[in-house]
Amino acid sequence: MTLSDLPSSTGRPARRWRDRPGIIGWLYAAPTAAVVVLLFVLPVALAVWMSLNKWPLIGGPHTLNFPDNYAHIPSDELFLQGIGFTVTYTVLIVFLLVIVAMVLALIVEQPRRGVGILRTAYFVPAVVGLTSSALLFYGLYSASIGPINPLLQALGIIKEPVDWLGTPTNALISTLILMTWRFAGFYMLILLTGLQAIPRDIYEAARIDGGGPFQIFRYVTLPLLRPSLALCFVMIVTGGLLAFEQFYVLTSGGPDNSTVTMVMAMFRQAFSLFDLGRASAIAVVMLIALVAVNALQLSVLRRQDP
Amino acid sequence: MGSSLGASRRLGAGLAAVALVMAACSGGAATAQPATAAPTIAPAATSAASTAAPSANLGVDDGTTVTMWTRSVTAVQTQALVDAYNASHKNKVQLTVVPFADYLQKVGAAAGGNQLPDLLGGNVIDAPNYASRGLWQDLTSRIASLPFAASLAPSHIQAATYNGKVYAVPHVMDVSALYYNTVLFQKAGLDPANPPKTLADLKAAADKIKALGADYGGMYFPGNCAGCMVFTVFPSVWGAGGKVLNTDGTVSTSDSTESVTVLDFYNKLFTSGSMMASSKNENGTTQNNAFATGKVGFALLGSKALGTIKETADLKMGVAPIPSSNGGVSTFVGGDVMGVSSSSTHADAAWNFLAWSMTDQVQLDIFAKALFIPVRTDLAENQYAKNDARLVTFNKLVAQGQTPYSKNFFQCFNDANGPYLSMMRAAFFGTDAAAAVQTGNPKITTCLAGS
Amino acid sequence: MTAMSSSAAERRGIVRGLGSATYLAISGLIAIAFVLPLVWTAVSSVAVGPGEGAPGITLEHYQRLMSFGAGLPTYLANTLVVVAVTVLSSVVVSVLGGYAFSRFKFPGKQVLFAATLAILMVPHATILIPLYVLLGAVKLTNSLVGLGLVMVMFQLPFSIFMMRNSFDAVPRQLEEAALVDGCTSFGALTRVLLPAVMPGIVTVVLFAFLTGWNEFISALILLNDGANYTLPVALVSLVQGDWGQVDFGALQAGVVVSAVPCLLLFFVLQRAYMSGFTTGAIKG
Repeated sequence: MTLSDLPSSTGRPARRWRDRPGIIGWLYAAPTAAVVVLLFVLPVALAVWMSLNKWPLIGGPHTLNFPDNYAHIPSDELFLQGIGFTVTYTVLIVFLLVIVAMVLALIVEQPRRGVGILRTAYFVPAVVGLTSSALLFYGLYSASIGPINPLLQALGIIKEPVDWLGTPTNALISTLILMTWRFAGFYMLILLTGLQAIPRDIYEAARIDGGGPFQIFRYVTLPLLRPSLALCFVMIVTGGLLAFEQFYVLTSGGPDNSTVTMVMAMFRQAFSLFDLGRASAIAVVMLIALVAVNALQLSVLRRQDP
Repeated sequence: MGSSLGASRRLGAGLAAVALVMAACSGGAATAQPATAAPTIAPAATSAASTAAPSANLGVDDGTTVTMWTRSVTAVQTQALVDAYNASHKNKVQLTVVPFADYLQKVGAAAGGNQLPDLLGGNVIDAPNYASRGLWQDLTSRIASLPFAASLAPSHIQAATYNGKVYAVPHVMDVSALYYNTVLFQKAGLDPANPPKTLADLKAAADKIKALGADYGGMYFPGNCAGCMVFTVFPSVWGAGGKVLNTDGTVSTSDSTESVTVLDFYNKLFTSGSMMASSKNENGTTQNNAFATGKVGFALLGSKALGTIKETADLKMGVAPIPSSNGGVSTFVGGDVMGVSSSSTHADAAWNFLAWSMTDQVQLDIFAKALFIPVRTDLAENQYAKNDARLVTFNKLVAQGQTPYSKNFFQCFNDANGPYLSMMRAAFFGTDAAAAVQTGNPKITTCLAGS
Repeated sequence: MTAMSSSAAERRGIVRGLGSATYLAISGLIAIAFVLPLVWTAVSSVAVGPGEGAPGITLEHYQRLMSFGAGLPTYLANTLVVVAVTVLSSVVVSVLGGYAFSRFKFPGKQVLFAATLAILMVPHATILIPLYVLLGAVKLTNSLVGLGLVMVMFQLPFSIFMMRNSFDAVPRQLEEAALVDGCTSFGALTRVLLPAVMPGIVTVVLFAFLTGWNEFISALILLNDGANYTLPVALVSLVQGDWGQVDFGALQAGVVVSAVPCLLLFFVLQRAYMSGFTTGAIKG
């Protein structure tokens, strides 16, 4: 295999390396391609196919019924309701997670003593599975064994026990707390590496120029953090729009269907109404929407990349 | 690669899809059987009576391994059966207990992949659904050949009947009843031997118990659990002669006079405080707890609760049929049925288990002895039950109750996101039960009409 | 003025103004808030439940968990098999794949990368039934290995992304030198690059483990046989088994049993993992 662009011994700066072309790259990528095609593309293709058909659960002929499955979506009240709630939830969780993660990252960025312990403590919840976390919080919020109400009452902060999952607002807030607890540490790490990559001299220069702490943060730190923030945004938004398990465990979409998400509505189509055709149609619509949303996000965030 | 940002990404680790269902209450919801409460003879269509049937079809016992799925709520009974069967037969049953809340997902996926187990159990209210989708094999003639075919729990047999063919047999029975705390009865000056028979009596008694003190509650009710509601509210409607569904289960008749009366009763019970305020958000998963503390007078529970809730100095349980407006008696005959799945290649061996499970010896020595309800009405007053009057009550209720019948029962009634729960909550906890029914009932009918 | 002579407080604007005490108080309280739920669960798992008798220490929740169904050891073993498949396969696929994306040009490269990342945009519930149908056709349902491979797919975006970035961070001179010396690309990979991307690999290992260990719905749907259940499925069966009561004690014990291996692995790998994040994640 011939190479080009070897560094010159005269010390001229190395030219930009070109990726090696050829079949060998494909060989290395082949296992990845196998997994992606066999275990992802094929099932998705099948799901798309199912969305075009009337798909009885067992046996039976699959008859093309496009666009019925899709045409049904606007009349699926639960799904429509789910759209509104999912968007609301996503907006809230983005704000919450980004702000909390940013604060945590700023805290552990300091080279003070004990910062390693803090970093570990903040990250530890991210290691627990989402089911386990949701079950854990289910216990925390429960009327029978939950310690929060007795604690708050003993401290005199509240008089009556709070029904953490019993009203739409409470249910939403309780779930937001669960998700912040679970994911703040992870996003803290992403922002932390972004923070650590900012050269110190820039801060020195800004301070010499007379910038105060908040100005430095706004005009120096944030812009340089853009890639990390963009990554966080994309991940949190995707996760928010696809939210499902946390509500499934904590609230079952209640009280009174106030916390039903889009995926939950799709789930009901598939596993309660056994209508795989309609469920697949919802899934396809959501996939297209997600791709669009993320493409939009990235173009907005990338355009301003310094 | 230049920019580190490619397409969207999300960390997969924590967000592994954990679909834990707390919603779908499948606590033995019943499927409304068309009209009559009078139990008809078991195999609905065939009249191939087994008077002098040459030989009952008992399947084949030849050492086959047979796979079985059952819902976790019947794990205890099913395990008892499987253990006894495996110990005494050449065939071996391989039992998989599936969390009940996720049962439909598992069945749906397996059906889609044509990989159902040989023996497939299911909530009796799902029986019409499974039968109509072809998940089970036709068992009509096999059932008819059994000597005791006529005494198999009629509502279960009817629930498993579709287009005149029977697709499953009763597996585990669970009927709903009114539980009351006799200790609190005595404290409140009520007669434990005389539980309330009408709704008015019930309210009066609940009021008295609530009056015992601030700690006490009249009734605890799972107000956020659809399956529990069908299980315990329908009997009051049926007892008064009302209906909740039309004959083929496509129209909801919760707007009938009898039904609205019952809903209005509960509405008043809640507003007056005799139904504990915390009932509103009880989704059923902890519904036994409040009653188990001994501070609540009444709870509407299933027969299984008798074995599950422990009696203490504060709690001694009495059991009575669920009251109705005029004292008529009914119950929701819930529980599970079991059939041979259509993809099974071991039908004869599978049937061997089913037929065996319903014989006298098994029903008496395994079920009745362990204080479970037998699936046969002719064994209602067996020697084990006679020791405990409460068991006799349950057993008798089997013959007096109904199982509602509808293909789409689960998704329209039991489902936590379905139209029935919305209507019931508005009726129970809103200001006007009748108005809530006017708004909500048509939505149930729309749902029932779905594919 | 040297960069290090000014105290840490001067390096960052907003947090700099905080004196030691304030900093400690705020950061400490937050740390406690984060750790407290786990501590509560652990403590509750060995405590007698409310209404179950005199308060005290008990191991009964763990005992119930141990003897449930096919027995906790069986479920743990099953889960370990799934995890082993997931971790090993993820590492192999993502190292080779990351190498390919970072260093090579081949037809369909962008498409493949985009398709890999698209996996993140599809909820698991969506493709589980089609997956079940397809796996059934090749008799891989009810198989722990099959489940492991499905987990590899779900983890693939993260694994590939992490490894590609790790490779990107290694200067090309390193392997070009090896190639000039006569190594094949594979030789360059194993001898020169692997050590350099080890932190990234460790990160992939950690997250593949977490996914394989904690996944519930795929395990529930794809495993027909109760004896094959993994820990999350068994846990849910136990907790929700009977209608009308949630076994909170078993729930706490189960959460502890589920979380402890993950925490252990995290602590063991922490050093390597943290630096893996630094080299493999976003550079500013």
